[in-house]
Formats: sequence, structure tokens, C-alpha cells
Amino acid sequence: MVRIECYSAPTSLREALQLLAKYGDRARVLAGGTDLVLRLEGVDRDLEGALVNIKQVPGLVGVRAVDDVYRIGALTTVTELREDPVVAEHMPVLADICDHFASGQIRNAATIGGNLVNASPAADLAVPLLLLDARVRLASLEGDQPRERELSLGDFFRGPGVTALEAGELLTAVVVPRPPPGFRARMRKAGTRPAMDISIVSVGVGFCVDGGLIRDARVALGATAPTPLRCPAAEKTLEGRPPDAATARAAAQSAVEAARPIDDVRASAWYRRHLVRVHLEREVLHVGRG
Amino acid sequence: MSRVRSSLIGSSVPKLDAAKRVIGDARYMDDLTLPRMLHGKILRADRPSARILGIDTSRAEVMEGVRAVITAADIPNHSFGHGRDNTPLKGEVVRCIRDEIAAVAADTPEQAEAACRRIEVKYGDLPPILTTDAARASGARAIHGDHPENVALTYHYDHGEVEQGRRASAHVVESTFHLRYVTHCCLGVSGVVASFDGEGKLTIWSQTQVPFLYRRDLAAIVGLDPRDIRVIQPFIGGAFGSKLDIYPFEPICVHLAQVTRRPVKILFSREEEFVASPTRQPAEIRCSMGCDADGNLTFREADLVLDNGGYTSWGATTPFVMMQTFSSLYRVPHVRFDAEVVYTNNPYAGSFRGYGNLQASFTVESLIDELADRVGMDPLELRLQNAQEQGEVTGQGMVISSCGFRECLEGSTTAARWKEKREEYRQQTGRVRRGIGMASMLHVGGGAKIYRSDGCGSILKLDDFGAVTLITGASEIGQGSETALAMITAEELGVKLEVVRVVNDDSEIRPWDVGVHASRTTFIAGNSARLAARAAREKLLKAAARLVERPEQELTIEDGEVLEQATGKHVMSVPKVIRSLHFQDKSELVVTNAYYEPPSVAQDEKFKGNVSATYAWATQVAEVEVDMDTGIIRVLKISAAHDVGRVINRLGCEGQVEGGIAMGMGYTLSEELLVQEGRVRNPCFRDYKIMTAPDMPEIELILVESLDEEGPFGAKGLGEAPAICTAPAIVNAVKSATGRRFTGLPITPERGAREFMKDAQ
Ligand SMILES: Cc1cc2nc3c(=O)[nH]c(=O)nc-3n(C[C@H](O)[C@H](O)[C@H](O)COP(=O)(O)OP(=O)(O)OC[C@H]3O[C@@H](n4cnc5c(N)ncnc54)[C@H](O)[C@@H]3O)c2cc1C
Repeated sequence: MVRIECYSAPTSLREALQLLAKYGDRARVLAGGTDLVLRLEGVDRDLEGALVNIKQVPGLVGVRAVDDVYRIGALTTVTELREDPVVAEHMPVLADICDHFASGQIRNAATIGGNLVNASPAADLAVPLLLLDARVRLASLEGDQPRERELSLGDFFRGPGVTALEAGELLTAVVVPRPPPGFRARMRKAGTRPAMDISIVSVGVGFCVDGGLIRDARVALGATAPTPLRCPAAEKTLEGRPPDAATARAAAQSAVEAARPIDDVRASAWYRRHLVRVHLEREVLHVGRG
Repeated sequence: MSRVRSSLIGSSVPKLDAAKRVIGDARYMDDLTLPRMLHGKILRADRPSARILGIDTSRAEVMEGVRAVITAADIPNHSFGHGRDNTPLKGEVVRCIRDEIAAVAADTPEQAEAACRRIEVKYGDLPPILTTDAARASGARAIHGDHPENVALTYHYDHGEVEQGRRASAHVVESTFHLRYVTHCCLGVSGVVASFDGEGKLTIWSQTQVPFLYRRDLAAIVGLDPRDIRVIQPFIGGAFGSKLDIYPFEPICVHLAQVTRRPVKILFSREEEFVASPTRQPAEIRCSMGCDADGNLTFREADLVLDNGGYTSWGATTPFVMMQTFSSLYRVPHVRFDAEVVYTNNPYAGSFRGYGNLQASFTVESLIDELADRVGMDPLELRLQNAQEQGEVTGQGMVISSCGFRECLEGSTTAARWKEKREEYRQQTGRVRRGIGMASMLHVGGGAKIYRSDGCGSILKLDDFGAVTLITGASEIGQGSETALAMITAEELGVKLEVVRVVNDDSEIRPWDVGVHASRTTFIAGNSARLAARAAREKLLKAAARLVERPEQELTIEDGEVLEQATGKHVMSVPKVIRSLHFQDKSELVVTNAYYEPPSVAQDEKFKGNVSATYAWATQVAEVEVDMDTGIIRVLKISAAHDVGRVINRLGCEGQVEGGIAMGMGYTLSEELLVQEGRVRNPCFRDYKIMTAPDMPEIELILVESLDEEGPFGAKGLGEAPAICTAPAIVNAVKSATGRRFTGLPITPERGAREFMKDAQ
């Protein structure tokens, strides 16, 4: 069990950032705690620095449309995403996956920020957000003032449990640009159980159909590589072709070739590749049918 | 005109302790704390096979909060267990990953754990023996010196002449089945609290299922007089057979309490629970079975090899139950059964709901379907044709005194619309296919005479306000026995259920009982409670008759009132009768007792004899949908028909069956303790996948009431049955959907996909 020097629940962003700046890599941010608490019994067992509970920091919850983007606060929970009318209307692929995320109790606690910073290759919110070209906003102190930088999600993920987040930084929001008109996307999470399961793989695909041909194709994969990622090869295969069985098969083939899955207790690399093929093929046809 | 009186028996009564459990008032092991209590932690070997060359505890001893560090050298360390091959702490040899090397008692669990990490153990690793084949290979190292062949136990059973049966067969099927490790997954992790008083008497808070045998065994291990041990069972968060044995952590805790002269608690982490609690026996079963041209079974032969792991627990005796299924599930004239229980350096198996019958029924019921295919019969018809009826005696000497087998076969298949669905699902070719399959089971339903007594004692006490206290030997481990026993008592006595309290947690007051196993509690403890209640009722009636000067036969007791039998006219209240007894000149208490011993016999050395007072039957039909690409098998519906003799608590029956099906489905589709190189690779609920609510199918339950003559109000045991035949029913359904027969479990999506891929090519 942990013996920490400082537990704090700051009530302003500045205060939170000051604590993070002070403790640097000896600080852990506590959001919903659904990943962190497990880490505190495992890899972070000997943590001795600070636990910074950010749940009191104002302005980090909820989904808002601002200009031509949607801004999702880092503390927005999976339950809130699942029920939010803006998400349902403009980012339905994100709402859908929330239905297959953990259980009701976990969803009530789990936050979008925690899901991304935890950076599991199987993080379920990563795949739909990659499809939506989402970016993350990272805040830190410059002198005495908060400043923010923005990164694409693709650049944010660096490896299993590793992100571009630096010591002293807090993820404040996820920013989703308005998808192109007519853009449709779907995601499929594959596991042993319908819920309460870590994805063996997850597969997402989205595109517009223009004059019978695919445009703006996006493909994202989870749990097939050290990070969730977009799959440009499969996207290229889809682009400009009709959403038919042959296209779906070709895109699935490109995705399988791009995937670099591992063998672990949950599945073999063979099965992960197999599922990428099966699901991508199915989902391309699904999205194509509208 | 005779009056119709409503009966409690068969109604739906929520568990008496349900509210307590829901509002958090129930005190589980986790909640227990005593003044000055210390916390114990165990250092485990974390390697499957080694020689212990030295243990240095000096750095741990000086750590903050540490009150004691013990190793094998510090305690008597008497051997124990079914095979007397286990010791609380290991001093010389490591035989499996969970082996207990040293233990620490400290002020906090964290300090104890930190101290464990400072204990230095020097090991000389030995190449582990990880398969039963390797263990039996000639020249293999003996895991226990006194078992040079690494065979812990063998079982042989036969009746008839198998060769004769073979010759009479028109069709023979044969297959080898592979069953792997699963574990109980009790929500409450293992734990114990030990506390000595100033006179050296021990009180132990234990989750045991068998408090009286536990007391005897524990006394021998730790060197105490059994009379000086008081066993108290707090609320138990599930057992399912896992708490039939004593495990090393319990005597270790006692020794820590002895050394420190303070109460000590040991509570497992969830990871520890996965690594260091028992499993169901992995089994390799080769079985062949035949029938004549008309589908009459001719013979059955089975050879089993069970992986015992490093030590022998009670679970190693599961062939005893397995053989009942091989010998007696359906009418089979010729049977041979041989089982070997083999030592390896794997985690060791224990007893687990069904006690070997899941493995056995999976085998037999898979092959029954194969035979039906060969003969060209509907599997239902083949089963009906070979199903026993009341009055038969099986080759093993089991007397079928009441029998709802046919009703189970018919009831479940009617509910499932068997014929219609079978027709509908014939010859499917798509990537998503449906199928329907069935399986049956036979299990002891009236106790099992494996000890000298299979009995249970009861004391019934009525106080002057009419409150009724049943003090029973039977234990409550979450199965709802408390409620069933209260219902039986209230019904027999003629009082309202609300006035009955059950005391079932303290060995100091309770009369003897052999324990919770063999689905025996409702039957045995129910009969015992009923006898005590009957005696009290007779006493009350006699006293009332004396008071009102009328013949006893004219009176009856209902809902706590003495009534005129014929008219229902009120005579006097039960409390008034009791008070008149207490406070008369020749004062008398209304306290009765009973000991019920079932009319069963211990089997002879050939394993023959009527081991149980009655037998329970069941059939489950599974309807499944198979995704041939992903390999995911979804169970759409289970139609379950169970011969329960008589329903005591309908809600309790429903709960037992639903829970059993969830376990059976996990065994079939998702649960597997991954043991590789002797290590558990998935010691967490993230990767050990039990069924969750959305996995559960529609369940249609048919409770068949065969009214057993010996059972309390006609009831028989139901505890284990619901988990037993779910797996073969699902596997048979998958076969009907896909044409593929799975001979191993679980059929994870990946295993399914690999198999179905063969089809696509
Ligand atoms: C039973 C169970 C089931 C689960 N099922 C799923 C599932 O189906 N799919 C899935 O994807 N995940 C699942 N998870 C994992 C987990 O719930 C999610 O990853 C969740 O979104 C994490 O969010 P949190 O708010 O709880 O994060 P926390 O645990 O609070 O934090 C996670 C990590 O992120 C850091 N952090 C959190 N917020 C910020 C921030 N704003 N800025 C900087 N750092 C931050 C923390 O320091 C920590 O390192 C499950 C977990 C459990 C226990």
C-alpha cells in the first residue's frame, strides 16, 4: 500500500497544475480512479509523492460545441458520454461504444481523460476518437500561468501506458472537429463477453459515400499494436471504391497486414488478426449500407 | 368438511438473511476485527518445484510493526490432508506454486506484507513435473517420496462383463475428453481469525463448510484438544466445495496467534485467492460406450487420469462420484471404470460443486449424443429409452426410490420445443447458426455416506413468548439452508415463519453435523429439524389437551395457535401453552432435539451399495447461436428440469438453478485458470472470465416433484445438480449447429474460431 506525502483535491486548474509542477513525476492524477487504484496496488505500489484528485477542478466536465469543434472535458464520465445529446447526434460512434464499456458502476466513475492517459492499447474510447480525428489539450504552468498545447491523438499515444503527457501536465479536454457531412462510423469491440471485458481487438471504420464511392475513409484499430492507431493502408484501400464486399475484403486484408498484435493470456496474435479481418469486413459493409 | 390449510412448503420466501446482506449488516470475514488483533501474511514459494536450502528471516523480524515470523522449524508442522501429504509450512521441498514457506504477523497487513518481501529464501530449483504423462513416465522423480510412481490414488469399479457388452453392441463410440482448471471464485476471499484466551483455549472464525470435522482435524494439526477449539462461522461469501478441506493458512494463523499471544487474522488478496485456493480437477477421460441396433445401451468403459497437483485434498476423491455417473446414468448392463489420481507440480485440486460429476457428465452425455447419431435416433428418444424408473437398482447398487428422470427429459424438451427446433435448425449453412442440444445428470440427493455417520443434529427451543430457535448442525454458506430449515420447522410445528430463528454458526452450541457437501443439507438437516419440530409439537398438543381437558387428537396447531382440529375454532395460543408448562408445579421446558441418520450405507470395497437415501435427476436443454467467424457462442435459452422431490423454497430452487447454470456456462465457454509452467497466468477477474449478467440466457425452469418418501416433505438435494449438465447440453447444441464436436472445455471464442475455420476451408 502507498505511503504518500500529499493528497490534495485542488479547486482550481492553477492549483492543480502547481501541485503537478511541484511533485513532477512523483505525482499521480486521480480522476475516476478505475485504473489508478489498481496501479497503486501494482506498479505504483511504492508511490511516495502526491495524489492529486482533480474532481473538484471546475470546467473539466461535459460536452460543448465551440465554433467548429466539440470540446469534451477530461472529467466527462463514460456514463455522461453515453447519455449526452450532443455526442448522440454528432458522434454516435462514441456513444455506442460506451454501451460496451465495463459495467454501469465503472462507467459512472471512469473518465475520458483517464482512459486516454492510461493509454492501454485496448482503451475503448481511443478507437472512436481516432476515427473522429480527435485532439487532446494538455495544460501546464508557464511561470505562474496555465498554458495549453494541443496534440493529435495519434501523436499522443506513444506505447502501452506511455503518452506524450509530460510531468506537470494535465489533460484538460478532448477536442473533436465537426465530422464531414454524411460521415458515418462504427466500431466493434471483440471480447469473450458482451460487456465487462477488455477488448481482444477493437476495430473502427468511418467514411462518407459520395456518388457510390467511399470518401474520407478512416480506419482505427485497438489492441493490435503497442498503441491504438489509425490504419492508413486500409484507409487508402477504401478511398474511392464502392463499399461492396470486394472492397471490404481488400480493406480487411490491408488492416491485417498492418496489425502487429501480440500473444497474451487473452488471445493469440493469430486470433487478433483473424478478428481484425472478420470485423473490419463486416463493419465496412455495415457503414456502407448506412 | 375438511379445512384446507395453506402450506409454507413450495412458496417463495426470500432468504431470511437477505436484508442483512443487502444493507451491509452481514459481517463477513473481511469485516471481522478483534481488540489487539494482528494481521498475518504468508510468503509463498512462487516456483513450482524446488529444494529449500535456507530461509533467513532476520531482516523481516526487525521491521516496524512485525510481531512474529515463523517457518516450518518454529512449529510442530504436523502433516495433514486427505493423503497426509501436506504440512502447514514447507521446510524442505516446494511442490507447487502456492507452497507456504514462512508467515509474518504484524500490526497492519501492509507491514506483514512488506516483511514477507524481506524474507530471504535460498532455493535449489528442480525441474517441475507439469503433466500427468511426465509424472507417470518411467524414471520420473517422485514428488512425494512415499509415492514412487507419483500415483496418489487409484480407483477401480466394474459391474457386468464389459467384453460381453461389446459383443452385443451394434454401435460403439469412443473419445477422449480434456477438462481443464477452473476455480470457485467465491466473492468472499479466504480468511481466518484465530484467538486464544488466557487458558489456552482457541476460538477460530472460519469459513469452513464442515465445522465439526474441521475442529477435529485442526486439533490434530496444531496439537490442541478438540474440546479447546470453538469454531465460529461468520457470514460466508460462498464456498462451493472450496472450504471442505483445511488449508495451510488456517493452522498457520493459529500458530501465529499462539506465538504472539494475540488474535491474528489472515485474509487473502484476490490474486492469492486465485493462486492459493483449490481448483476443479483437470481430467483426461477416455471413454467408450455402445448400444445395440435398437439403441439399448450395452456397455461403458472409462479410463481417467486426474491431475492431483502437489498435494492430496478431499477433492482427490472425486472419482468416487464420477464412477456413479459412469455406472448409473442410464441403464448400462456392463461397466468398467478406472481412475488414477496423479501427483504433479501444478496447483492442487479440491472439491468443487458437482464433485467430479461435471467432468463425468460431460463425457457420458457427449457420447450419448454421438451414439444417437450412429443409431439414427433422436437423442431424446435414446435417452428416454435408457432412462431408469422408480424401483430400479443400478449396477452399483444405487436404489432409485423416487425418480423424476422421465419427467425431466420430457419437461425440459417440451419447454424448449425440442422437436420443432431440431427440425428448424437442421442443415444450416450461414455464418451464424443455431442449434439445440440436451444433457442429463444423476447425483446424490439424500446425502452420501462417506463418513461413519451422514447425520445431522438439531435442538429446538421454544421460549415463553413463542419464539422458536432452531439450533442446527448444518452450516449456511450462502446456499439458503437457513431459510429452508426455518420453513420446514415452521411448517411441522405449526407456527409462523417469522417466529423462527436459526442458530448455525457456533460449534460450542450446535449439535454435530458432517458438513455442507453432497447436496445434503435440505434433506438431512431438514429431516433432523422436522423430527425436532415434531417432538415439540407433540409436547405442545399433549399439554394443551391436558389444559383444556380434551383428547389430543381433537386439537391441532396452526400459525402459532392451538385450534380445534375439525372446525378450526381457536382454543389457546402456543405461547400460553408454553408458559403453562414453564410455570406449573412440575415445570418443564419446551426444548427438543433430534439426530437424523439417513437409511443409506457406506459402499463396500468394490464401491457398491446404496450410498445415498435418494438420487436427484435433471435434464437441461440448451439453445445456442454460433458465430462461425468470431467463434462466439451465445446461449439463447436453457430449459432446465430438475427433480427436487418436493419444492421447499421455490425462490431458493430458482436461485440454485440460475447460479448453477451460470457456473456451468462459465465452465463451458469462458472460465479457465491458465496454468503454465506450474504458474497461474490469470489470477484476476479481468482475465479469468466468469459469466456476467448480460451473458445469461433466458432460463425456463421446470421443478419436477417426485415426492421422495424419505425426504422432508418429499424433498431431495438440489445444491450441486444445476451446474452439472449445462456443459454437455451446450456442447451438444454446438454440435447440432455446426457439426463440430468439442471434446475439451472451455470453448473460448478463439478455440471456437479455430475449429470453425476448418469448415470454411
Ligand atoms: C472492472 C473494470 C472494467 C473496465 N472496463 C473497461 C472497458 O471496458 N474499456 C476500457 O477502455 N477500459 C476499461 N477499464 C479501465 C478504466 O475504467 C478506463 O480506462 C477509465 O476510462 C479510466 O478512467 P479513470 O477516470 O478511472 O482514470 P484514473 O484511474 O483516475 O486514471 C487513469 C490514469 O490516467 C491519469 N489521469 C487521469 N485523468 C487525467 C488527466 N485529466 N490528466 C492527466 N492524467 C490523468 C491517472 O493519473 C492515471 O495514471 C475498466 C476498469 C475496471 C476496473
